[in-house]
Amino acid sequence: MNCETPIAWATLVDYWAGDLDDAETDAVDEHLFGCGACTAASARVAGVTLALRSAVPTVVLRSALERMRAGGARVRENGFTPGDRREVEFTADADLLIHRLGGLDLKGVERIDLQITSESTGALVADIEAVPFDSAEGAVFIACQRHYAALPNDTVMSLSIHTAGAPPRTATYTILHKFL
Amino acid sequence: MSMGEADAALVRAIATGADDAAAAEAELCRRFAPRIRLYGLRHLRDEDRAADLVQAVLLALLEAARAGRIADPERVDRFTLGTSRNVALRMRKTDGRSAGDAALAAIAAPDQPLERIDTEALLRCVRTLEHRARRVLMLSFNDERTADEIAALLAITAVNVRVLRHRSIAALRRCLDAPREVDA
Repeated sequence: MNCETPIAWATLVDYWAGDLDDAETDAVDEHLFGCGACTAASARVAGVTLALRSAVPTVVLRSALERMRAGGARVRENGFTPGDRREVEFTADADLLIHRLGGLDLKGVERIDLQITSESTGALVADIEAVPFDSAEGAVFIACQRHYAALPNDTVMSLSIHTAGAPPRTATYTILHKFL
Repeated sequence: MSMGEADAALVRAIATGADDAAAAEAELCRRFAPRIRLYGLRHLRDEDRAADLVQAVLLALLEAARAGRIADPERVDRFTLGTSRNVALRMRKTDGRSAGDAALAAIAAPDQPLERIDTEALLRCVRTLEHRARRVLMLSFNDERTADEIAALLAITAVNVRVLRHRSIAALRRCLDAPREVDA
């Protein structure tokens, strides 16, 4: 399969990101239907972008959580308040474990950053700026997934809470995971 | 023989009802099913609906070919795209699923469907990206934000967002394709 005018990789990525206008999208569709080589390239981009879309983010909103529940996901939720240090079990009857990092006054909060480290080694597990949060619930929801078993299980989750005109506040939760 | 000529030969064989018409129908379906599936995944954003689209479009394609209604067999690709657009539009309007056809369902769900990427492998590769690239991917594919929206959030240009995004997808592709080193 050869193509004299192959679609650029960058264009295919924009296409799968939904970031081309209608005319550009139509032009890509027309080329793909007549070109086996570019269809194969498009499938390689699609494989990655579809996997990214279907991967559950580490931090979710209550609305996303409810959508997952409505879609049949077996979700177990555990609540934590700042300073807690507790073990949680990821049992076989759950698809997703939600850590509700609560006990927070989030009125007027502009941004929350999350850092996850290993309690025993201090190794950085995740560092996510500007995570989504629910002001009304005063909580951040961590979506713990079964494949996280490969990561350190003794996690310290630190939220850095930024409000305009005030120094950032920190809330820390220590969650010891047991994957069953 | 070019791809268009090969497609046209299949369409003509189906239209004449020749001895090899059944084989030509199977080959035409085999050639177009992946393209219709990708179109469905891109525009309907749902695997089940994409599979339904494949069935409905292949059925329409075969019926048109059998009846000799494909005016320009060299451009059967355009006929198939046009049909895909119309059926997808109808599916979006009705939010319904087609009744399906057993034989076409087998083609729509081939032995080797679109590549399945293991989530653990994907996340392992995502962790190799720099922080800003990870943010761009998350905002693009989890939050469904446009390049302009991401640019405003990250205080960079939309061009930078696009470059970061296509380089990151290429890096993920290389990482996923690379044979994984076995721990000693």
